Amino acid sequence: MDLPSLIETIQACAPAVWMRTSVKAMPIVEAIHVLAGATVFGTILIVDLRLLGFPDARRSVTRVCQEMLRLTWGAFFVSLTAGLLMFAANAHTYYGNTAFRLKMLALLGAGVNMAIFHGTTFRSVRAWDRSVPVPLAGRLAGATSILLWVSVIFLARWIGFTKGYDFKIPANTHIDFQF
Amino acid sequence: MHGFAAWLQGTPASNAIKTVSWLVPLLQSLHILTIGVVFVSSLMVALRVLGLMRTDESFEAVWSRFAPWIWWGLGLMAATGLILVVAEPVREFSTLSFWMKMLLVASGVTSTALYGRSLRVAARLAPVQFSVGAKTASVLIIVLWLAVIFLGRAIAYDREVWGSLSLRT
Repeated sequence: MDLPSLIETIQACAPAVWMRTSVKAMPIVEAIHVLAGATVFGTILIVDLRLLGFPDARRSVTRVCQEMLRLTWGAFFVSLTAGLLMFAANAHTYYGNTAFRLKMLALLGAGVNMAIFHGTTFRSVRAWDRSVPVPLAGRLAGATSILLWVSVIFLARWIGFTKGYDFKIPANTHIDFQF
Repeated sequence: MHGFAAWLQGTPASNAIKTVSWLVPLLQSLHILTIGVVFVSSLMVALRVLGLMRTDESFEAVWSRFAPWIWWGLGLMAATGLILVVAEPVREFSTLSFWMKMLLVASGVTSTALYGRSLRVAARLAPVQFSVGAKTASVLIIVLWLAVIFLGRAIAYDREVWGSLSLRT
């Protein structure tokens, strides 16, 4: 199955039909998506700020991560589920939307940044867990994470202003407006 | 009220905000980012009272850590919100969701201020456990902020959400 027909299949599935036909579904699902997304940002910000040494190095990095990241993951899966429902409802529109594609790239970037940090710098956390400045790589990971998540939210809002409108008129199309 | 909204919508200020293409999305994005900060900061305080998070710190320490983010965040949201309302007053004022949201925001701000003050006193007197009342208040404030967030999104869908109760009918 090629990508365009996959998009059509997604758009035709039962949850997608429900999202399009139920009057209250879209506002509620969208509100859940925004709330959960904002929670992901707020919780990850606490971790990233700790990596940047804010407010101080008193609280252990591992403890901050352990407390916050379960909230982050929980909120992320809620947001992802709501996002999948919204995508399915208008798969064709979102798939072709530049802001949506960039948002997916930013999300991927945030994931890669996190994976690299946890796979490398974080392995030595015992040496800098508290009262000691976080290594440069850790601080960079924290700053990159904040930038990427802020971008995700800006791009997400931009989708709302561009979806359905950024299409290319095929070449050799004659548009004749009769007023 | 509709007359005032219609007048405001025609002012140079309102037109200036609307015509800069990136301004409304920028303000809305800042509004959403700040929602994350304020909601999670309030959640941290509430979870501390419930004994579920940061129990290695005193309530005073948790309050000092997060209260400034709550207050500054609410201030930024008031500023971005005000500019957004000036840009599209008719759209906001003609919805039940907007007015309910404003009512709940006022309640949330008042509750947080009173709650913070009384709990800091309580924590000094009985530092180990908070009362059932304090814990209930914690849950209720979070529920209130959740309602505010839902109402904020509902502004764009006022008729679908409220049906005949919507002021848009």
